[in-house]
This record gives sequence, C-alpha cells and structure tokens, in this order.
Amino acid sequence: MLAQRPTDHDASSNHLQGVGPRTSTLERPARALLHRSFIGASGALLIAAFGTDVFYYTTSLWQWSNFSAWLISVGLIVMLVAVILLMIEFATGRARRLNLVSFALVLSAGLLSLVNAFVHSRDAWTSVVPDGILLSAVSTILLVVAGARGWSLAMSRVAGDSL
Amino acid sequence: MKTTTPRSIAALTVFAVLSACSAKGGDPARQYGSDPYLPEPHQYLLPPMSVPRSVGWNSGETPTAAAGLKVEALATGLEHPRFLYTLPNGDILVVESNSPGTEAFRPKDFIAGKVKARAGAAEKGGNRITLLREVSGGSRELRSLFIDHLHSPYGVVLVGDTLYVANTDAILAFNYAPGMTQITSSGVKLTDLPAGPIDHHWTKSLTVSPDGSKLYVGVGSNSNITENGMAVEEGRAAIYEVDRLSGEKRIFASGTRNPTGLAFEPQTQQLFAVVNERDEIGPDLVPDYLTSVRQGGFYGWPYSYWGNHVDVRVHPQRPDLVAQAIKPDYGLSSHVAPLSLLFSQGQRLSPTFAQGAFIGEHGSWDRSPLNGYQVIFVPFVDGRPVGRPTTVVNGFLGKDNETVHGRPVGLALDGSGALLVADDVGNTVWRVSAAQAEQFAWQKSH
Repeated sequence: MLAQRPTDHDASSNHLQGVGPRTSTLERPARALLHRSFIGASGALLIAAFGTDVFYYTTSLWQWSNFSAWLISVGLIVMLVAVILLMIEFATGRARRLNLVSFALVLSAGLLSLVNAFVHSRDAWTSVVPDGILLSAVSTILLVVAGARGWSLAMSRVAGDSL
Repeated sequence: MKTTTPRSIAALTVFAVLSACSAKGGDPARQYGSDPYLPEPHQYLLPPMSVPRSVGWNSGETPTAAAGLKVEALATGLEHPRFLYTLPNGDILVVESNSPGTEAFRPKDFIAGKVKARAGAAEKGGNRITLLREVSGGSRELRSLFIDHLHSPYGVVLVGDTLYVANTDAILAFNYAPGMTQITSSGVKLTDLPAGPIDHHWTKSLTVSPDGSKLYVGVGSNSNITENGMAVEEGRAAIYEVDRLSGEKRIFASGTRNPTGLAFEPQTQQLFAVVNERDEIGPDLVPDYLTSVRQGGFYGWPYSYWGNHVDVRVHPQRPDLVAQAIKPDYGLSSHVAPLSLLFSQGQRLSPTFAQGAFIGEHGSWDRSPLNGYQVIFVPFVDGRPVGRPTTVVNGFLGKDNETVHGRPVGLALDGSGALLVADDVGNTVWRVSAAQAEQFAWQKSH
C-alpha cells in the first residue's frame, strides 16, 4: 500500500501529483482509508451475483438464484459498513473530500442492487429473468469501472497523513 | 451522468416501492363460485405481507356466529390445535401441531418467518392429540392426553378399530377400542409420506373412502412456486390414495398446490378437496378453491392456475401439462387459506346448513385488506357446490383489522350436531350450536 504511493496510476492522482509539491493541502484518492477495502469486498460480492445470475439463466438450477440472493444481500450489508466507515473517516478528518466519480458509480450500483435484492426476493424464474439479471449486469459494469479507479470513494491528504 | 443517474435511479426506486405498496385487493365476492374474476398477474418488488398482530382472547371474548347460533369455549389452553375429529362415541380428538420447523434458505425466508410470527403462526405445536369428552351439554369436560410424541401430525381418521394419524412424514396406525382415553403404544407405520428436506407445506390431510378400503392423503408442495427447485417437488402437490391393508400408495390426483382438507360428499360419495393456491402475483390471485377430485386429474400447479392460466415464474414451462389442467369447481377468493373441509349431514345446527360444506379459513398473510379468518358454509345441490357461501363464524379479527384474537383451522361436528372449531392462535376449541333449541335433544342423546 504505502509503496504504491509514488507510482500511483490513478488518473486524478497523477493529475494532482503533477500540480505541485506534496504539501498538507494536496489531495489524492485515499488508498489507506479503511472504507476502501469494504467497498472492494462489496463490489466483489455484487459482481459475483451477476455470475451466479448467468449460471441460473443458463441452467435454471434454483441454487444459483439462491446464491445470487445471498451475494446481493451480503454485498449491500458490506457496502453499508463501508459507508459508515467513510463517514467516520470524514468525521475524523482522515478523508477530506468525496471522489465524486467513484462515489457516483458505487452509489448507483448500490441503489440498483437494493432494487435487485427485492427483485431476487421474488420466487423462481422471474426472480432473475429478465429484471434481476439486467440489474446485476448494469451494477457489474458500474462496479468494474469503480474497481478500475481503485475503489476509494474519498480523497485524503497526502502529506501529514499517516500514509 | 454524475448528477442524472443517481437521481433517476432514486426516482425509479421510489416509484417501484410505491407501486408495490398500492396493490389492494378487491371485493372477495367476485371470486366465489365456478367462474371467479381473475385479474392480470403482477410481480412486486416488496413481497406483499400483511399480518395482524396476535393478541389472543380475553376471558369472556368469543368469536361471533351467524344468527340463531351461539358460541362457547369447549376447551382452552391447548397447544396450537389444528385438526378435530369426532369418534363414534362422541369423544373429540384435538390434534395439537405445528410445522416441524423449516430452515431459512433465502434472505427472504428470515423476514417472512419474523412477519408470520406476529400473527402467532410460529407457536410451537404440542405434537400430540388430546381427547375431550363433553359432559352435560358442554359445560364440563373430561380431558386426556390421548397420543403423545407425534411428529407434526395433522389428519386423523378411524376405520373399524384402527385409528390412522397422518404425521408429516408417515401414516401411523393405532389400535383403538371405544371409550379409550389414552393410547400409549407408538403405533405401526402404514406408509411413508413425502416430508423433508424443507417440508414447506407440512400438513398431511387424511380421509377414508366410504367403503373403508382406501385412505386419501393431501400432500402440499415444497415451495410457493418451485423456488426451491423442481427436484424437491417430486411426489408433492398431490393427493395420494393409500391401500389401507397393504400400505401401497399411488398418486390419485396432482397439481394441487396444498390440499389441506379432504372429505367425501355424503350424497354422491365423491372426493372433494380444499386447496391453497399460489402467492405473490397479486392480492386477488390466485383464488383458493374447493373442488371435486378426479382420479388422474391434474389441477395446474406449478405450471398454471385455474385451468390454463400460465404462471410465468416456472421454468421450463410445460404447455402440454397446462393444456390438461382441470379448472376447479368453486373459487373461495384469494389467500383465505382454507385449512379444513367438513360436509354437513342434514345436521340439526340450522336448516340453512343442511346440505353443503363447512370450510375453516385460517386467513391471509399476504393480502391487504385481510381475507378469510372465518368459517364459511358452501351450499350443495345434488352433490355440487352452488351459489354464494355464507359466513358461519367470524369475529376472529379485532375491530381495527390490525389485531387477531384467533384463527380457525379444523372443524368437526360433535354428537349433538354442534360445530366445533379449532383455533390455533387462541389455543381454544369453540363449540357453535343452535342458540335455544336442541338442548333437550342433546341431553337425551347422552
């Protein structure tokens, strides 16, 4: 984690690094903030639900739809934990500002997944096809982009931080 | 994208939740009889759940009966009484039972379990049969633990000197002699019945053919609509015929989602069943029904309902079976949960109830406004249900429709012709009799 800092490939971070010297006023996506790993775990679960939806679609074996329902539910709970952590990190000053694009991506995926949890609470085939698998697919696209951007939802101070 | 996407998604969510909440059921009367109103099916985001809070009965409170009838408690303090059976000597068997307990497979199962517990559906059953003997007009009773240590029992029938008890996983046979107040033997297994894993619809209703040679057993489906997979539905949602002597069984009729009450119509000696239909496609779908049961008949579940109305939730679909599906005889309206079927036999209860069937409606858990929570009477002419049902006993719900005192389940007629009603939330057996007459006849017959 710490070693990555000088060679950060994140676009906005590179941009910021190019602006000026590292001082306490400089910001970058916060890689060491705790919420980030929870967002990543939540994203992994929600993306996995798309996989199990596809398996259900191709096999009509009910256990795959059951997996999807659990993956989405637990994914949302983990995301809720991440948001609480994020709020704590803001309150304690470790996080300085929202990483707006990532935040919008993850928030959208979370809201879609919330709707999807209800869709998956339906019974049998139509708990997945067509609405459920469509929502899983869109959430997956949003989360893959958020993942490529490094999962972090906040900018943190670079210098003076405990990074 | 940054600003519009979350906003439109939030709007979509709000719209979806609102549309899910606004689904109110219409007049149940439109769904009585042979040609019920069937709206278009809908699927909802929030599983529709609406259960009244269980408050029990205060002392002195009773359900209310139709004009000319009175209600009194015959026995109280029972453990989830579900099924009633009157022995030839007038002794009454009360089957105290509840679900063997099902695992939560999906996140939804946890929530559904919690909601249903509010209505008293999660109480532990006694897993036993209690014998009641009325003494002097029902004002006193003898009460005895008749058979203990059963496994979620439901149906009971006496044939000759053998008493058959349908546990959730097997039919047991017990030797019985008139006047017995206790059976201590563990019984002999006649045949296994489909039970776990899951055992979603666990009650096994039971009756005997008029000639006494065959038993008929109702076996419910293992899910609402195959959401637990097709494999666990093997041999379920069916009515079995069991040879009483050999214990051999075969499927007599199928596609009956949850056949909770079986009885032979006395005039035509035709087998009838009440069946609980599927949930979660609307407050007015699908009507539960009363039907004559044809040998080899297929009644639709899971592929279709009320004849050939296809259920899109089932995959793969079976148009060949849908084409064969039989329309039931008589709609009872949606989600009333009929759990018992009892034919009157020209009884002395009231001339109104001379010919027809009593049905105990346990009441809805996923419909708003609530439906059921009453005992109804369906008149029969020439062995067929005709006309409108009438309410025999209601008042199980609080006046605000948000609390429930009791829920009617099993029915029986006692030696005097009074109607007995098992109440598995009020843990009471109610006795419904003619308001003034019959007292003399009752005393004479005992």
